[in-house]
Amino acid sequence: MPGPVTRRDLLAQLGVTAAATFGASAAGIGFAGVARAQEKPKGTIPDKPFRIGHMTFFTGPGAVLGEPMHKGNLLAADEINAQGGLLGKRKIEVLKADEAAGTDANVKEMRRLKLSEKIDMFMGITSSGNTPALGPAAEELKLLTIFIDGCTDFLFDKAVPNPRYVFRVTNIQSADGSTCALAVAQTWPDVKKVAHIHPDYAYGRNCYDHFSIVSKKLIPRAQNVSEAWPKLFSTDFTSHITKTLAAKPDLLVTSVWGGDYISFYKQALQHGLFDKMKVATTLALGTAPHAIGKDHPEGVLAGVHANYHFSYPPGNRWPLNKTFVEKYKAKFNEYPNFQAEGAYTATHILRTAVEKANKLTGGWPDDDAIISQIEGMMIAGPGGYVYIRPDNHQGYKDAITGFSKNVPEYPFPILDPARIITIPIRNITAPPGWPKGEPTSTYTWIDQTWPTVKQA
Amino acid sequence: MSTVPLTLQARSPMKALPWAVPVALLLFALPQAIDPYKTILLAYGLVMGIAALGFNLLLGYTGLLSFGHSAYFGVGAYAVALIFKYFHVRSMELFLLGAILASLVVSALFGFVCVRYTRIFFGILTLALSQVLWSLAFKFYPITGGTDGLRVPTPTLLGLPLDTAGDKILFLARNYYYYVLGFFFACVLVMWVIVNSPFGKALQAIRDNETRAEFVGIHIRRYRFVAFLVSGVFTGIAGALWVPLNGLTTPDILYWPFSGEIVFMTVLGGFRTFSGPIFGAVVFNYLKTSAVGFTTYWQALLGAILVFLVLALPGGIVGTVVQLFPMLKKRFSR
Repeated sequence: MPGPVTRRDLLAQLGVTAAATFGASAAGIGFAGVARAQEKPKGTIPDKPFRIGHMTFFTGPGAVLGEPMHKGNLLAADEINAQGGLLGKRKIEVLKADEAAGTDANVKEMRRLKLSEKIDMFMGITSSGNTPALGPAAEELKLLTIFIDGCTDFLFDKAVPNPRYVFRVTNIQSADGSTCALAVAQTWPDVKKVAHIHPDYAYGRNCYDHFSIVSKKLIPRAQNVSEAWPKLFSTDFTSHITKTLAAKPDLLVTSVWGGDYISFYKQALQHGLFDKMKVATTLALGTAPHAIGKDHPEGVLAGVHANYHFSYPPGNRWPLNKTFVEKYKAKFNEYPNFQAEGAYTATHILRTAVEKANKLTGGWPDDDAIISQIEGMMIAGPGGYVYIRPDNHQGYKDAITGFSKNVPEYPFPILDPARIITIPIRNITAPPGWPKGEPTSTYTWIDQTWPTVKQA
Repeated sequence: MSTVPLTLQARSPMKALPWAVPVALLLFALPQAIDPYKTILLAYGLVMGIAALGFNLLLGYTGLLSFGHSAYFGVGAYAVALIFKYFHVRSMELFLLGAILASLVVSALFGFVCVRYTRIFFGILTLALSQVLWSLAFKFYPITGGTDGLRVPTPTLLGLPLDTAGDKILFLARNYYYYVLGFFFACVLVMWVIVNSPFGKALQAIRDNETRAEFVGIHIRRYRFVAFLVSGVFTGIAGALWVPLNGLTTPDILYWPFSGEIVFMTVLGGFRTFSGPIFGAVVFNYLKTSAVGFTTYWQALLGAILVFLVLALPGGIVGTVVQLFPMLKKRFSR
């Protein structure tokens, strides 16, 4: 290993940038695919509707993430249907299914959608507890699937190591914990005592693992002083909050999300937790933006699943984002979250793949042709470029996080436009060809290839 | 002592044949007529039927309401998953053997504690003990995978080599369906023999009047304990058979709402009849699946059905049919 590296060097190597976002720049960046005029398809296309089964949380504490996902799917479907549908002929029909029915019922429901409702494609899923169950089920059913979230590394590391029909569009989960840790290392490099509160399931453990391995490399002096593992979809965090307070940490790291996070921050406010320590989260602003109130403290490292926040890229700097946010606001009278963006992009990935495949094969392309076009696709979505890696079918886009801030324009906190942190995704995820590892490939990759910084 | 109106009557197996044979033939023939998806659902229903049958030995025949049957179902399922995880075995028969042993041990342990009590105390104890197992499955992440659960690949049946290129859906809808059906028939038969045996009669005597039963010379606690064991093992078998259908085990099947579902299906079918729980399980399975597919308010729909059931059809589906049948017969014979 080369000589000692300073934190500043390593952060620079990893391309972690915190930059003030400037206002609207001149328009004129080329659109990469979304909402352009349709070319005439090759061959005859049936006019049978294209049915997408969309499963996400429509009930319970997960619904503040799930509902926007469905809406993103609907918005893209509307755009495509306004042009006559896929290839100008096949209108998209979206069928809803509730992910809150439980993992086992979800497997049944996926089978019902494919075998009974004859869906052409499956989309959705929020919880990383569900994709490892549904991924293999989709492969068994030979059902073309784009998971929007449920982004556990476990899915493509182990549950479906050689995916054929299954893709996933939002960032791989390890990026979330790593992004959070890098942001902490950059912003608060002097933290020494760290407390954790994570939901006790795949996502929480993944965030904990990757936060820990990255902080071991970048802030080696930081020590864990407390860990709390509430059950997913808890509503009472009092005991976890008091446990954390008793440990007197400098920093609390939490990956509690959705309705759980809302309950958590309201209860933490009552205990004055935010005044007593710095708080870093992975998913605080990942819910539907209006779900978080202005009582949410400012300056919290407010994660968006390392994926997307509607306020970035700002203004007209990335026109795709501007039009997406405007259309979404006009249709649903609210602002999109990262899952709305994911589902919107995924639907356009489908459209693009179908159009490309049609050019090659003529007529309505079969699943194999569509899959071959999704593999390796690079597409511009509202949040930036998304690359679908052909070997593991995972979508990659540059990671983003930031700090909560109240601004007069919005009735809820947004990411502080002056302090957005972005990280090139290839610098924080295991590259193609890296052997499968435990607990994740990215974990072993970071552990083995990143230097540990010298801390004064 | 509480008394439950006695409608469970001794019937000779011959009397059951006129309806049992057509139902059996129907179950055999159905996969040829309905699509694979509906066949798989039916297989789920039959598996839950075995669990409900086991459950009803306690509720309908012994008068003990267990709110913790998820424990034995979950133990059966986790036994399968752990056998695969640690021994890399893929034989369904070995899975079942392991599940029977595991559920026997756990129901012996739990039964030893629970049968000392009746009524609400019994219900609460079974509930509490099942929650202990749930939290173990939930928290012992390295062993049980926590809420991610454990995946179990397609098992081999009767030692026959696995057709790896085969279609999993067809496997479930054909080979596995008949495998489940075989076990279902065997379980129904065994349970029929049990409830119509002197042992079964003694259980019913205990249910109807504990004090009298004791005076007759029945060792109440021992009988209850054995009933508890049988009930647990039946539910454990159901848990093991359920795993290949679902493809993985998660702590959901150990959680108390799942115990509630077993109670629901038994009440739905009618716990005062032998066949009620079976019908209830099959119907509940269709009901829940279609409710989830039909509306995002599926919990409210199921809740409304349960309320309606308790108020309007306290005998359950089969119980009501059995009550109506003589009336209809009379009317039509006039």
